[in-house]
Amino acid sequence: MEFGWTDEQAVARENVRAFLAEHLTSEWQEIAPLSPGSEAVTSFSKRFCPKLAEAGLLVPHWPSAHGGADASPWAHFIIGEQLWEAGEPRGPQYYNVNWIGPTIMKYGTPAQQDYHLGRMRRGDVIWCQGFSEPSGGSDLAALRTRAERVGDRYRINGSKIWTSYARLAEFCFLLARTGSDRRTISVFLLPMDRKGIEVRPIESVVGEGDLHEVFFDDVEALESERLGPEGEGWSVVRYALNYERVGIPRYALALKTLHRAVAALISEGAFDAVAQDAAASACSMCEAARMLTYEVVDQRSKGSPSTGATSMARVAIVQAERSVADFVLDWTPHLFGSAEQPMVATHHKRAIAAGIAAGASEIQLNLIARDILGLGGSRGA
Amino acid sequence: MELELSPDQKLLMSALDGLLAPYRSAPTGAHGYFEYSESLRQALAEGGFFDIVGEQGFGPLEAAMLIEEVASCPVDAEVAASTLIAPLLGCDGAPVALAWGLGRPARYLDRAGTVALFHENGLLVGAPAPDDWRTETSVVAYPLATLCRLPEGMVRQPADLAEAVHRRALIGIAAEAAGLMRGALQQTVQYVKDRQQFGQPLAQFQAIQHRLAEDAQTVHACRLLAFRAAYVDSAKEASLACLYAQQAARKLIYDCHQFSGAMGLTLEYPLHLWTYRLKYLQGEAGGRGKQASALAAHLWGETS
Ligand SMILES: Cc1cc2nc3c(=O)[nH]c(=O)nc-3n(C[C@H](O)[C@H](O)[C@H](O)COP(=O)(O)OP(=O)(O)OC[C@H]3O[C@@H](n4cnc5c(N)ncnc54)[C@H](O)[C@@H]3O)c2cc1C
Repeated sequence: MEFGWTDEQAVARENVRAFLAEHLTSEWQEIAPLSPGSEAVTSFSKRFCPKLAEAGLLVPHWPSAHGGADASPWAHFIIGEQLWEAGEPRGPQYYNVNWIGPTIMKYGTPAQQDYHLGRMRRGDVIWCQGFSEPSGGSDLAALRTRAERVGDRYRINGSKIWTSYARLAEFCFLLARTGSDRRTISVFLLPMDRKGIEVRPIESVVGEGDLHEVFFDDVEALESERLGPEGEGWSVVRYALNYERVGIPRYALALKTLHRAVAALISEGAFDAVAQDAAASACSMCEAARMLTYEVVDQRSKGSPSTGATSMARVAIVQAERSVADFVLDWTPHLFGSAEQPMVATHHKRAIAAGIAAGASEIQLNLIARDILGLGGSRGA
Repeated sequence: MELELSPDQKLLMSALDGLLAPYRSAPTGAHGYFEYSESLRQALAEGGFFDIVGEQGFGPLEAAMLIEEVASCPVDAEVAASTLIAPLLGCDGAPVALAWGLGRPARYLDRAGTVALFHENGLLVGAPAPDDWRTETSVVAYPLATLCRLPEGMVRQPADLAEAVHRRALIGIAAEAAGLMRGALQQTVQYVKDRQQFGQPLAQFQAIQHRLAEDAQTVHACRLLAFRAAYVDSAKEASLACLYAQQAARKLIYDCHQFSGAMGLTLEYPLHLWTYRLKYLQGEAGGRGKQASALAAHLWGETS
């Protein structure tokens, strides 16, 4: 056990910083406060990610067989921290590099890998995640969307909800029921321009492009678009969620926001002892989240991380997000309307989602209770 | 960054594990407020564990691991200052007491060979004589005594050494608190699995599961932050780890006692051997408020 960065890792971080300094120009600074799924950020990402790819900074952690550089998951997180802190110029494409790509690597056919991973590492393809439904939220296995086999195809009917990035997405990582048993679910890599798909945005407090409803009316899917064996999508989902839950280094933007708020207080001569106490405490929550995240990254660098470690990191991340969001509300509410500090409001919008998206905190607590403490299971673990 | 133990660290911890085996379970029968174990200290001394910081390839990180592991046992022995601070002061043998002010109770002072006193004039170090202190009976699970006057021959230490001792003291508190929390949590988890109410183990109630799950997460974070602070051995990280630990102790102590019911309040049941030390550590070195303001100063400068 040791807590230092290797020279190579330190250089890697410097490289990312230098790259961002060069490529995140005023154009980016103007749109950075918008959501990753907004039209402006999405289209920026399609110009920015190819540049990242060219510099070897988009998927270095992927195996070379899939066009990566066999870099360790640490490289991925170093890049992720810098990008998330900058507002996430990869837009929705962080999905691809964090979890969709790795899941296709594990379960995809050579043809699926060839095509989809190829697109992802070029940096110009947007995906959405079709998991949640009105009937299947935390209890994901209660989803109702069906994929009925008709000859060598499937016919999909049903609807998804809360689907981020759906309106601008080219593909959906879709879950649908292919049998009567609760967990007989299959995954489809479905093009979003298929006839019968309708996307409706949902207005929300989290930002443009983050939430949609997606309706499927007799949508055709080819067998070659199914990921993994029919009916065995549940293990695919589990695998994907482990990557998704600890994918975004949320503590990085939280810390940056905390520093922004403190800088404002200092300049106003208002950083008194009580504020210092609250700020230090929020900082300690972010560092706790960082260390628990690093543990998952460390486990990932050696194989598959445990569900328990992933859930602990996720819970810590949610607490860190909240403590910074509360600090800002308590001490610098005036920054919410500040043209000079637009990222403060942005952080607030994004932070609220952390405890719900990718599985509610309470579900993570169920998993910790079951997997780490051995306290029997609650429904929903 | 490597969060698994190295082969050398594994060897160290497995040697320690063997040594700790007799101390893992609570002494049977009614015990007192505290269980100080001279034999554990001796065993650690004979095993060379107090010299760990100076050993080839080891340093404060391994000392913090040792402190954390020992603290997870339901017995007490002065370990933190002897491993982390004694090498800085060049003293060895008897326990080292850290006193956070004249006239204030300090842990282990009644059995210390050396006392390091954080004083308005700086850090003073010397050997306390029996007349210098009086024993305190207290509600916490440490042997406490108050330094009533300045022992003769106390030597003022240079500022950089004083800073190092202070930093190591915070690291020691964080590591010890992490181990105590882990021990208390383990005990409580076992209790809620065994204890049946409403026809089922307490462990099946989600209200209990969730609070213990939150605790598991904070305890683990405490441990990692304490170890990181020891590894980098910096004042900033030490304040951060100590702040987090002193903050986390509050909820953990409450939850463990809540879920142990009245049994958790008896001296027969060992919970207090962890929690009533943690309670003391909550306020050690000025408590979370002091660490928070120190951390704020490290991060944002002296702004107040
Ligand atoms: C910003 C955002 C973006 C999202 N993006 C996507 C996306 O792109 N694709 C997608 O598929 N989904 C997405 N989601 C949906 C997300 O995965 C679900 O919201 C989440 O799984 C919770 O489901 P639910 O909202 O139906 O809440 P419910 O399941 O109705 O639960 C409500 C609350 O009840 C509590 N609860 C539920 N079950 C339990 C239990 N067993 N024990 C204790 N407490 C419980 C929790 O506090 C939970 O938050 C997104 C959500 C948000 C907020």
